[in-house]
Amino acid sequence: MGRFFYWKLAADNIRKNIQVYLPYILTCTATVAMYYLMHSLSQNSGLGKMSGGDTVQMMLSFGFVVVGIFSAVFLLYTNSFLIKRRKKEFGLFNVLGMEKKHLARIMMYETIYIAVISISAGLIGGIVLSKAMFLLLLKLLRFEVQMGFEISGSAIVFALLLFGTIFFLTLLSNLRQVHLAKPIELLKGGQVGEREPKAKWLLTLSGLASMGTGYYLALTAESPIAALTLFFVAVILVMIGTYCLFTAGSIALLKLLRKNKSYYYRPNRFTTVSGLMYRMQRNAVGLANICILSTMVLVTLSTTVALFVGVEDVLKTRYPRDIVISSYGITDEYIDNLGATVAQVVENHNLVMQDPMEYRMLSFVGIAQGNEFLTDEPSLNISPSRLKTLCFIPSEDYSGLTGEEVQLAQDEVLLYSQGADYEYESLSVLGRTFSVRKQLNELPAVTEWDISGRHFLIVKDMDVVEEMYHAQADVYGEHGSKLTYHLQFDFPGDVSEEGEIAFYKDLRSSLPSGGVSRYIESREAVKDEFYSLYGGLFFLGLFLGILFIMGTVLIIYYKQITEGYEDKERFAIMQKVGMSREEVKRSIRSQVLTVFFLPLIVATVHISVAFPFITKLLAVFSLRNTLLFATCTGGTVLIFALFYGLVYHRTARVYYRIVSM
Amino acid sequence: MYILEVKNLKKVYTPRFGGNQVQALSSVSFGVEKGEYVAIMGESGSGKTTLLNILAALDTPTAGDVLLNGRNIGSIPQKEIAAFRRDNLGFVFQDFNLLDTFSIRDNIFLPLVLARKPYQEMERRLTPIARKLGIEPILAKYPYEVSGGEKQRTAIARAIITNPQLILADEPTGALDSRATDGLLRLFREINEEGQTILMVTHSTKAASFAQRVLFIKDGEIFHQLYKGDSSEEEMYQKIADTLTMIATGGERRG
Repeated sequence: MGRFFYWKLAADNIRKNIQVYLPYILTCTATVAMYYLMHSLSQNSGLGKMSGGDTVQMMLSFGFVVVGIFSAVFLLYTNSFLIKRRKKEFGLFNVLGMEKKHLARIMMYETIYIAVISISAGLIGGIVLSKAMFLLLLKLLRFEVQMGFEISGSAIVFALLLFGTIFFLTLLSNLRQVHLAKPIELLKGGQVGEREPKAKWLLTLSGLASMGTGYYLALTAESPIAALTLFFVAVILVMIGTYCLFTAGSIALLKLLRKNKSYYYRPNRFTTVSGLMYRMQRNAVGLANICILSTMVLVTLSTTVALFVGVEDVLKTRYPRDIVISSYGITDEYIDNLGATVAQVVENHNLVMQDPMEYRMLSFVGIAQGNEFLTDEPSLNISPSRLKTLCFIPSEDYSGLTGEEVQLAQDEVLLYSQGADYEYESLSVLGRTFSVRKQLNELPAVTEWDISGRHFLIVKDMDVVEEMYHAQADVYGEHGSKLTYHLQFDFPGDVSEEGEIAFYKDLRSSLPSGGVSRYIESREAVKDEFYSLYGGLFFLGLFLGILFIMGTVLIIYYKQITEGYEDKERFAIMQKVGMSREEVKRSIRSQVLTVFFLPLIVATVHISVAFPFITKLLAVFSLRNTLLFATCTGGTVLIFALFYGLVYHRTARVYYRIVSM
Repeated sequence: MYILEVKNLKKVYTPRFGGNQVQALSSVSFGVEKGEYVAIMGESGSGKTTLLNILAALDTPTAGDVLLNGRNIGSIPQKEIAAFRRDNLGFVFQDFNLLDTFSIRDNIFLPLVLARKPYQEMERRLTPIARKLGIEPILAKYPYEVSGGEKQRTAIARAIITNPQLILADEPTGALDSRATDGLLRLFREINEEGQTILMVTHSTKAASFAQRVLFIKDGEIFHQLYKGDSSEEEMYQKIADTLTMIATGGERRG
């Protein structure tokens, strides 16, 4: 016997079983590539420099640990299916006179082949993929990518070690199986009877309850910040519910369907319901995992896409004007001074101020209690939703903003509410009671949105504002608010980006200070920063999304194929008893379809329920374009489903081929 | 009037990648009358299984015709063949071919479900059959929970519940112990006595001795046939054994 006999035999074995080995090798390759990508990304020096990049890297390093564990479990699991299918072959070798040590040798060589192929293909794939992603990114996106392309040595070493160990473990478990078994058992290895799954009603009910509670919490959550903790509780509840319903609920439902005789005893349902019951028993946990991960990916993708596509929107909302100057702790002198300086700088740059707006304001926080706003309650243990900001603006400034003359009495106000409705006729704060003369529908210049909700009060004159200023300063002491002054204006449309940025820099250095803290915001100046932040998020979302879709789909494909071999005999029997090929096809289609699309459908439901809350959360990021977000979510789900559908189509075909062989 | 008529059946297997052609059936002709119980005997490789597969419309002959109730099986379009098989034929296999994912009851119902019969009718048909076959207590169980004999009785129930023209049995006693074999053969005889036509392929002399007529197949041809007539099972057993010895030792062909 030649030295290479066993090597050749091992290679032949893999070639002969290519239909099961190819998906396995592909899965291993994809897993290695995914691991490498995650690990190398977490060490990418450019990402660290990106704003928010360090947080993302922390998440990624957590991510690659998870991927590592996941890979180990998953590969061991798929391997056990593989070896079950091949037991017969080994039994035959054994019967033909090969000793177990020879079998062990063949298995070792097979594992070495597969390990070498998939680890090297995975690493090359990972490197090429990360390079391709960077190139694509540079082409597609307008922001400067600070993340460069790097080959991470440590990621390669870790991947080699991790997957080397995993393959070694699979070999050990295979050896153990073959070593323990007698030849006859090996020959019969493929067929072991499976118990009928039991319906677990308690688990089903608790699943329903926790899913329902989770949905309820998510749907009724009000302001995002106040409800963030509650939302996490909701997420956890929905996750628990998903697991319970996939594992117990699905089987309970199928059992109920089976109890309904006139429903159950129809050709297609008969085979589908009973087939699904076993299929769910074997796949439920995996499907629940896929469902939850799909939900996460879809949420991540749709939000990052929405943020990126809506970045101009975000800028417009967050920075409604080209230039906004806010000053805190003002005096009349300062205001005059500021006006003159700004006018001077504008002139120096040969620019024109368009539509300038200015107003003075006092804003402080009170705790809402009906129409009363308390300032003396200890702020601990107060629901954040009760915290409201009260903003006082003198009527003369309001007239300046709107061009509308208003005559107000000493205790009369015009009220504009942001983020919440105000339903009372009057408003009391710091010992003063104002009667609301009119509620305003809009207030120019103050578009920036405060998540906790604000009430703007247009009062008679600056004296009232100053009176309130002193009153709140007495109560809040050093935490009291200051009088503020806001000046904002646009430039004509033909002013270049560079021109605006130059103006912004010049203005920043020439503003008077005089003990006043002031902030200048220029939309152009922050634009790049926004693009790189949101673009970076978008990139990561896309990257992880694609990786994950690849993984998921391969898993399902692989599982379906494996099951195809197990179902082959069943369909052969049904055909003998009088099932036509068409009926076989239809039954296969509905079973594979369910297993494929159930996680996706449930994920879509999850997303729709989370949608209102995420919309509110995005508003915190100044994205208030619900339509845009809805489009992005819908689009993401659609693309995901499309990709899914393609793989489904292919899987169903291969599955049918296996079954009808 | 023959319920099943086989005329000059010939089957040649042509390997896909060249090689020698194999003639499984050279020329087989015989007829089965309504209510008859016929056994076909022959050694492995004699063409028994090929014949049965062709009769079951699972395989097509190279030449020759199979007529069931006067209808040529070969002329049935592929689309209707499953329905034809389901409505006219009942199968009993050596390895039972029960589905592990169905209870005993549902296994028996399978052909009726495929034929879209209402549930009430399924139940109505099942009750007498289950009583006769003695499988009432196990109807709710699953195939992996019952014995081989019970499995085969389930398979018989599944075969006869459609009231088929003909039951085709392929080595029905092959996987059973001697007690279960006796029980099963008695059942077959009872069913036959009630008017059911049965065609059984076997190489068990004992199983064949229960049949009214035994056909011997050798090298793809009907070599000999024996009628039971009024003889007892023991006498029939002896005759079959003699014939088998003769075939094995290469005796002359007799009418």
